[in-house]
Amino acid sequence: MPEKMILLVEDNAADVTLTIRAIKRANIANEIVVARDGAEALDYLFGTGQYRGRDINQLPVVVLLDLKLPKIDGIEVLKQIRTNPVTQLLPVVVLTSSKEESDVTTCYKYNCNSYVRKPVDFNQFAEAVKQLGLYWLVLNEPPAK
Amino acid sequence: LDGHTNVRKRGLVELNPDNLSRSNIAGELQLEDTQRALTNILDDIDTEKNQLEQTQKATINILEDFNEEKLRLENTQRALLNILDDFDIEKTKVEQTNLMLQAKSDELNRANEELQRARDTLEIRVQERTAELQQRTLELETSNKELESFSYSISHDLRAPLRSMDGFSLALMEDYGDKLDATAKEYLQFIRSSSQLMGQLIDDILNLSRITRAEVHLNKVDLSELANEVVDDLKRLNPERRVYFIINSQLEGYGDRNLLRLVLQNLLGNAFKFTGKQPEARIEFGTTYCNGEMAYFVRDNGVGFDMAYANKLFKPFQRLHRPEEFSGTGIGLASVQRIISRLGGRVWAEGKEGRGAVFYFTLPKPRR
Repeated sequence: MPEKMILLVEDNAADVTLTIRAIKRANIANEIVVARDGAEALDYLFGTGQYRGRDINQLPVVVLLDLKLPKIDGIEVLKQIRTNPVTQLLPVVVLTSSKEESDVTTCYKYNCNSYVRKPVDFNQFAEAVKQLGLYWLVLNEPPAK
Repeated sequence: LDGHTNVRKRGLVELNPDNLSRSNIAGELQLEDTQRALTNILDDIDTEKNQLEQTQKATINILEDFNEEKLRLENTQRALLNILDDFDIEKTKVEQTNLMLQAKSDELNRANEELQRARDTLEIRVQERTAELQQRTLELETSNKELESFSYSISHDLRAPLRSMDGFSLALMEDYGDKLDATAKEYLQFIRSSSQLMGQLIDDILNLSRITRAEVHLNKVDLSELANEVVDDLKRLNPERRVYFIINSQLEGYGDRNLLRLVLQNLLGNAFKFTGKQPEARIEFGTTYCNGEMAYFVRDNGVGFDMAYANKLFKPFQRLHRPEEFSGTGIGLASVQRIISRLGGRVWAEGKEGRGAVFYFTLPKPRR
């Protein structure tokens, strides 16, 4: 089910592994596409660069977006997602280490759908991911295409 | 004067010797004539004398008149001189006044110049001071920005590795638990709890630095209401605890509501924590007077502390108890002190080991 995939934008390999582990543990079986920096995430969404030719109408069901990323940071990715008519309604959950007020405010200013801070305790992190999956994959009614 | 001449002529005619020598009889006649002539002459002289006296009198009169005129003239002259003298005096006075005015004017000018100089100096000093202050503000802003990016970096970068340590230790226990003995599992547990503690420490450091950076909004705050909210949270999160709270009503303070909430969360939270082993825990929030100054206090009958360590209480990451006894990172009271001093008050503590503790704080009176 390619249209139910989750786009995980995360540069840290350990965090990728842990996030996927948490998603699996929450019994979420959706395909997970990983972009390792902001540029790759945008290439994927807009069918450019290494993702040239990808059907960009196949949008992820949710984007899990880290903020501190190489090349193009998470806030810039969020801005571009919201500016492009194809992706402007795409649910974006900011999933990051920081709970700096400036980050939270900026993300909401650019219309992120949620802001979740990754806890150090993996059990808490897994619980947060489970709640996110439950909400965005089961409860939330996505915008009509 | 014509009169006198006539008289003499008449006398001379009658004394003519030609007439005397004509005859002796005639001599007698001649004597009589001479006598008569002499008398005439004497009369004439008398008349002349009278006339002379009159002339003299007239002359004297004229002279007297002249004298009067002269006196009058002299008086007038004197009066004129007096007037001139007066004018002179007046003139001198005016000149003196003028001099004085000039001196005053000079003085005023000098004072003005001095004032201008002082104003110039002041202006220069104000400009210097302003420049200094601007420089200082710039430096502070820079160091503040550095601090912000530092804490941003801590917040982002320091926590990620901790998440890995905790997450992968758990993954090891979950996925390879059957291959690990009890000691290995215990070690992994240590890694996890240490990672989590460090995560907590990082959060606390960030919170502490946020207190320093936070904007302060001063208002009248209902402290009783705040305290009750905090107590309700404590009760809700720890339903197993039995604690007797005495929150005095109508306590108000002047400060920042959010920061004062943090103060009460820490003080009441500490009181709650350190009465954990007390079967009849009792926590009170009220006010008292210390040296004439009103102070708020939070009193508990918990484990208390040794006054010898009182100075350590408010230092960051200083703890008076082992982690197994009471949890915590030692940042709560440091935060309280930082907040209270930012609000312009003081905080101090009294305690006795095993006999409870009292934490006092003051708040400034509202300005205006």
